[in-house]
Amino acid sequence: MSNTVDRTARMTNKPSRMSALWRKLKSPVATPLRLVLFLIYGIPLLWIVLTSLKSPRDVISSQSSFVFAPTLEAYSEALGNSGLYTALQQSLVIATGTVIFTLLLAVPAGYGLARVNSRITTVGLGMLIVLQMLPQTSNVIPLYQIFGQWNLLNTNAGVIIADTAMLVPFGVLLMRPFFRAVPVALEEAANLDGAGTFRTFFSVMMPIARNGIATTGTLIFLLAWGEFLYAVNFFLTPNNYPLSALLAQQVSAFGIDWPGLMALAVITSLPIMVLFAFTYRLLREGLTLGAVK
Amino acid sequence: MRMSVSDVTVSTLNDTWTFSGLENFQNDFASPAFGETVLNTVIFVGIVTVLGLAGGLGAAILLAKSGKWTGFILGLLVFIWALPPVVNGSVWKFLLGSSGLLNSIGLETGLTTQPIPFLFDDSIALYSVALVNAWAVIPFNALVFRASIMGISPEVLEAAKMDGASRWKEIRHILVPVVKPTTLVLLVLTVVYGFRSFDFIYVMTFGGPGVATTTLPFLGYIQAFVRFDFGLGAATAVIAVAMVIVLAVLYARSVRREEANS
Repeated sequence: MSNTVDRTARMTNKPSRMSALWRKLKSPVATPLRLVLFLIYGIPLLWIVLTSLKSPRDVISSQSSFVFAPTLEAYSEALGNSGLYTALQQSLVIATGTVIFTLLLAVPAGYGLARVNSRITTVGLGMLIVLQMLPQTSNVIPLYQIFGQWNLLNTNAGVIIADTAMLVPFGVLLMRPFFRAVPVALEEAANLDGAGTFRTFFSVMMPIARNGIATTGTLIFLLAWGEFLYAVNFFLTPNNYPLSALLAQQVSAFGIDWPGLMALAVITSLPIMVLFAFTYRLLREGLTLGAVK
Repeated sequence: MRMSVSDVTVSTLNDTWTFSGLENFQNDFASPAFGETVLNTVIFVGIVTVLGLAGGLGAAILLAKSGKWTGFILGLLVFIWALPPVVNGSVWKFLLGSSGLLNSIGLETGLTTQPIPFLFDDSIALYSVALVNAWAVIPFNALVFRASIMGISPEVLEAAKMDGASRWKEIRHILVPVVKPTTLVLLVLTVVYGFRSFDFIYVMTFGGPGVATTTLPFLGYIQAFVRFDFGLGAATAVIAVAMVIVLAVLYARSVRREEANS
C-alpha cells in the first residue's frame, strides 16, 4: 500500500514546505484509502443504528435497505422489558466493582514493580505477562469448580472476583510505566521531608500518576463491561445476566429478532460512548504507553 | 491441572475425582476433532496476525497526519475497538447473513447469483470469523504503530530530503527501522489475541458448523460446558495454556530487547 502512495507522491512532485513524509500522505491516493478505511469501520456502526430503528417486518423483507419508516418500536419494547434494567444494573455493579478491586490491587503492585529492580521484578513481570495471556476459556473451567465449592456461583461477587483476577495483570502492566515516568528525585525529596513509604505513595505518587490511574480504570471498565463468558457461565439463570451476557445469549439463539437485538446493542454501547467521549485523549496516549513498554 | 488427569463430569464435580492418569489427554489427541481444531487455530491466528499487522500499519500510515478528518477516523476506529466484542460480533453476524448487507450488494450488482453462506459453510466460516477478528484488532495496532511513526522527528525527514533520499528510500530506511521494535511486540500481542479470541466465535458461529470454526481454547470450553466433560475440557485447556507459555517467553524476550534499546 505504501508503495502506491509513494509512487503517486513522486508523480505529483510539487514543491512544498511540508516535510516529505507528510506531503506524501496528502497525495491523491491517501484520501480515497482513508475513505475506504472510514467506510469499513463506519458502515457496521451505522448499520447497528439503522437496524435498531426498523420494525421486524422491514428487516424480513429487506435487511439492507436504506429507505424505511423509522420506528422506535424496538427501543420501546426493549425499554419496556423490566429485565433490561436488571441487566443494566448488573452490568454497572460488575464493571464498577471490578474497577475498584482491580485498581486497589494493581496500583500499588504497579508502583512496587516500577521502583524495585531485582530478579524478583523480572520474574514477577514475566508471570504477569503469562497470566494476562491465558485463554479465558481455560480459566473458566477451574473457576467454575472453585466457585461451586465456595458457593459463589450465581452471585455478583463471583463474577467480580473472576473479572478482577483476569484484569489485575493487565492493570499492573499498564500502571507500571506511569510510575516509572515519575522522577526518583521527587520521592527522595519527599523522603527528606520526612514522609514514609506509605505517605510518599499516597500524597506524592498517586496524584502524579492520576492520569495513569484514570486510563487504567477506564480500560478495566470497558473490558469488564464487555466481558460475558464468566457471566454466562457463573450466573445459572439468565435473570441475573448483565447486558453483555444477555446480548451474547440472544445473538447465538436461533430466529433472531434483529431490530430488538440491535436496539440492545445500542443500549449496551451508549455508556461506553459516554465514557469514551470523556476519556478518548487519555486512552489514545495510555494504550500506546502500556502496550509497548 | 488436577482436573485434567481426572474423570470429572457434572455429577462428580464436587466429589472426589477418580484419577484417570493421562486418559483425558489420550482421548483428546485421539478424537478427530482435535486435529482439525489445531489446524483451525493455526489458520485463524495466521489470518488475524497477518491482516491485523498489515492493516494496522497501513491505517497508521494513512492516519499519521493530524487533521480534522484523520482525527475523526482515528476516533471512530478507537471507539469501535472500545465497544464490547459482543456488539461488534452481532453486527457482523447480521451483515454477513444470507440476506445481510454484503450478500445484498453481491446480488444487486450481479457479482453473485445466490447468497454466500459466509457463516454457515464449512470452508468459508473460519475465514469470515478470522477476518472480522482482524478487523477488530486493527484499530489497536494502528494506534500503537501511529505513535511510533509520529515519533520520527521532522528534522530527520528534512535531513533525508536534503540528502536526496527518494520516497521509497524514506519508507525503507526511516519508517521501517523505526516501527520494527513496535512490530515485534505487536506481533506477539496479536498472535495471543487471535489465540485467546472466543467472543467472536461464540457470538457468530459458536464453533460451528460442526467444528469448522472451533479453535483450541474454544474446544476446551465446549467440552466442559456444552458436553459437560470437565476432565476432557481441562485437558484441552492445559494444552492451550502450554502453548501460551511458549508465546509468553517470546514476548518477554522481545520486550526486554525493546527496553534495553530505549
